[in-house]
Amino acid sequence: MLQLDLFVNGLVFGLFYALMAVGLAMIFGVLKVVNFAHGEFYMIGAYTYVLVALKLGISPWLALPFAAAAGAALGWIVERTLMRPLYEGYGSWAIMKDEYAVVVTFGLSLLLINLVDKVVGPYPYRGPMLTETSRFALGPVMLNGQKLIAAGVSLALLVALAVFIKRSLWGRQIQAVAQNRFGASLAGIDATHTTSLIFSISGLLAALAGALLAPLINPSPDVGAFPAIKSYVIVVLGGMGSVWGAMIASLLLGVLESFFAVYVSYDYRDAFGLLILTLVLLLRPHGLLGERAREL
Amino acid sequence: MTGEANLWSRRLATDFRGALVVLAVTALAPLLVRDTYTLGILIVSMYFALLALGWNLLAGFTGQFSLAPAAFAMLGAYTPALLAYHLRAPLTLGLPAGIIGTAILGWLLGRVVLRLKGPYLALTTLSFAEIARMMIANSHEFTRGDQGLNVSAVTANRLGYYYLFLGLLALVVVLVFELMRSRVGRFWLAIRDDETGAESRGIDVVRYKTLAFALSCAICGAAGALYGTFSQLVSPELGLLLQTGLVIAMVVIGGIGTLTGPLFGALLVYLTSEWMRGVGNIQMIVFAALVILFARFFREGLWGFATRLRARGAAERVP
Repeated sequence: MLQLDLFVNGLVFGLFYALMAVGLAMIFGVLKVVNFAHGEFYMIGAYTYVLVALKLGISPWLALPFAAAAGAALGWIVERTLMRPLYEGYGSWAIMKDEYAVVVTFGLSLLLINLVDKVVGPYPYRGPMLTETSRFALGPVMLNGQKLIAAGVSLALLVALAVFIKRSLWGRQIQAVAQNRFGASLAGIDATHTTSLIFSISGLLAALAGALLAPLINPSPDVGAFPAIKSYVIVVLGGMGSVWGAMIASLLLGVLESFFAVYVSYDYRDAFGLLILTLVLLLRPHGLLGERAREL
Repeated sequence: MTGEANLWSRRLATDFRGALVVLAVTALAPLLVRDTYTLGILIVSMYFALLALGWNLLAGFTGQFSLAPAAFAMLGAYTPALLAYHLRAPLTLGLPAGIIGTAILGWLLGRVVLRLKGPYLALTTLSFAEIARMMIANSHEFTRGDQGLNVSAVTANRLGYYYLFLGLLALVVVLVFELMRSRVGRFWLAIRDDETGAESRGIDVVRYKTLAFALSCAICGAAGALYGTFSQLVSPELGLLLQTGLVIAMVVIGGIGTLTGPLFGALLVYLTSEWMRGVGNIQMIVFAALVILFARFFREGLWGFATRLRARGAAERVP
């Protein structure tokens, strides 16, 4: 049953994609900007995990929190230093507001890639596995231990995030600011603090995705490019700014891609997602679950 | 700043004079440097200046923030290469085909993304750029994939290439200046500043936006086509997003939405980056950091800063 194997492996990849994409979706929901440095959060997470585990010689499980902390700190710093002008109401925009975000996040992406390239080196690292089990068959489905554990952790994180957003005070504040920033601030919510929080969460999740996949991907400085592009596709497909849409779209993309790679073309599997992105933006710009994206 | 000095036509005229000075200095540079290596670096920096001017026409003047300039340079470079590889077409046919081909593709892209703004536009053009690059890198039978294609040179003379690039650069500068001076330029600025407003005043937004896309992409395509014959090898690396990042860095540092800014920025950034390659390969770190700092604190860029200083000087002289 090749199909079942493809389906399950697609779902597993979908879980990793979701970890990347929900953060991007949350940022878009609140600031209406795309973070083009999102893939570098992932890359920083992968490197932190590998370097902490190798240099400190501690259990890889203990390296995961380091990666999470690095991602959260990076997200927080980025919001503090670069995103503030977006809602502090600059008088004149020689570069327009949307474009400002594109330029600084694109610049940040280049900066982080080259900084890591310079400091750590351009060669890929081999990350330590969380478990030593190699590939095994579960009925018709081929899995390996690392992938299974990573998928389990991702699923737990996504459920935790969903509960956090739905139930906790901070989560509700995030929802409120995403719906209406001004209204939320009238109701006494510190929108600035909430935005910092969102960037931290976004960085944390992306960094953890990088850390969990580090043993499978062997991080190099430009490793974030593809996961980032996948998450753009997902965020567009799910509806820009919709966290639930992003989760559904991640699983969908994971499964579709895994079938596409086998039945249509392996070489073009990465172009497939971009094709979806383009088509969705042109034909159904509000995605599966989003608000209307095109303004006129 | 006095009212008159701030008029758009005045600013544009000053801007054009600035660009001419930069071009004149570039034209005289071979008197001082004659070695082929340095000339080669200057040629590459002019290639980037062409891309910067092309991208600035679209992003700086028309407000359409595309992330595909490098992809169009790649497409422009591949057209003559593929025509020669499959049909043995000479460069006299291949080079114009590259320019016209990218103009048509740019026009089509402009039609497709007509209604998209800000991040949506950036994402769509980015995915166009990446799809184009992956198609070329993966179609091994048609394009030889990552191995790239060989292209014959226009002339074997390094200095000849230097002036060929300079001529194209001067042509593009004059073309952009004339366009910006005419109604078309005013329409573009109006679309950039307020699209709905422009449309309500009777500007054919669809037409002028697609025109900007076609022209900008044709400039990038021309740069790429000529560059392909200079390096004599075209590969998908020409279309890397990194290259687009470099172009954006040049324009933002030089001054977006001006004529001299992208030109000066490109030459400055590329030449400094070659110099920094000698001192520890830190050029990309420095430029990425500079782009962020310029966009954050210094949005007018170097040229904008220079004109502001000049205007302040003028205002002090006339009480």
